[in-house]
Amino acid sequence: MAEGVDTPTAILAHAAAALREHPFDDISYRTLGDAVGVSERTVYRHFPTRSHLLEGVAGWIESTEFPLPPFVTIPQFRDASRARFHAFDASPAFAFVCARAATISPTGEAEPTFLTRALVAMLATNHPSLNERDLHRVAAALRYFASPPFWARMRTGFDMSASQISDVFDRTLVEILGDLVILRETEMGASRRDGG
Amino acid sequence: MTMPATSDAEAQAANEVSRTQEAILAAYAELIEELGTDDVSFRLIARRAGVGERTVFRNYATRVDLLLATAAWIEDRIFPRQDSASVFDMPLAIRAAMESYDQRPELAHVVAETTMRGISGAAPSPGRARLEQMVDAEIPSLEDAERIAIVAALAHLDSAATWVTFRREFGMSRRDIADAAAWAAEAVLDPVRSRVG
Repeated sequence: MAEGVDTPTAILAHAAAALREHPFDDISYRTLGDAVGVSERTVYRHFPTRSHLLEGVAGWIESTEFPLPPFVTIPQFRDASRARFHAFDASPAFAFVCARAATISPTGEAEPTFLTRALVAMLATNHPSLNERDLHRVAAALRYFASPPFWARMRTGFDMSASQISDVFDRTLVEILGDLVILRETEMGASRRDGG
Repeated sequence: MTMPATSDAEAQAANEVSRTQEAILAAYAELIEELGTDDVSFRLIARRAGVGERTVFRNYATRVDLLLATAAWIEDRIFPRQDSASVFDMPLAIRAAMESYDQRPELAHVVAETTMRGISGAAPSPGRARLEQMVDAEIPSLEDAERIAIVAALAHLDSAATWVTFRREFGMSRRDIADAAAWAAEAVLDPVRSRVG
């Protein structure tokens, strides 16, 4: 077992490493147990179903491989999202696992992720006069287009690279923000010139 | 206005299932709603479908084959789309799709997840060809980048993953999910509204 790491984390790290060679569905609990030095039963105790394992691995990958840069403005959010699409392109096997985990039936209480909370906070702070319904519609749409599932659909269904995906993301972002973006246009322009 | 069935291979495959396959896929879909995807054995599926276990294996050699075929069957039979005559009908179609996903949450998750597996999974944008047809017919003046962005964004919104994300990340009700998804589709279409013809 890796030193200083608890068993579930060690299992997740090994599962993530195995993804470099095998699809998720071919990674067996027995192999994970052997790799970590615990019994197959112990692996089951920590991850009772493959859905639990998938969620766990995706969480581990999101935090170690695809950390989201913090953002408080729309241009920062845009740049953070674009950077992640490029990171997904560099490690597609990891990104597909994140996309799958984001769409399975949740194993526990579904909680909003950090990205969701950051988006709602960003909109509420920058646009305090925005009503509740519009705020949630805008946040939900932005959240959905910044997600691994968007990258996955664009890559598989449209054969797009991260740059092309970022372009669709940018255009959609502007339409979703609508009138709100006028307030931020100068800032957005500056960010584009800075090499977005 | 009725349109011919989509040319998508998966949808066609779903249309062409044999009576036996239909029984197996319907049985598995039923069991997924009762038990989830994890705990359903081929034996149980066979019994529910009224066929032998070997018949299930002969038609679907692996669990993944069976799951993907079932996901395609679910999209085709449980969540069928009313064909839109115009791309500007898409917000309405998306609203209706969200409402139907919300009525069968377990099945919506299966459909959403199987499209997130890359090329070995289910086709993630079965409506793409139809969207392109409509956009080309109605708004032929679009530049390439604009055209693909609209088609891609609408294809992304017209999917079970939209329902999953809005429900999971925002705890939205059926009505709010349908509203938010249709609203986003309207926003995507806004810049081209006056450019028809």
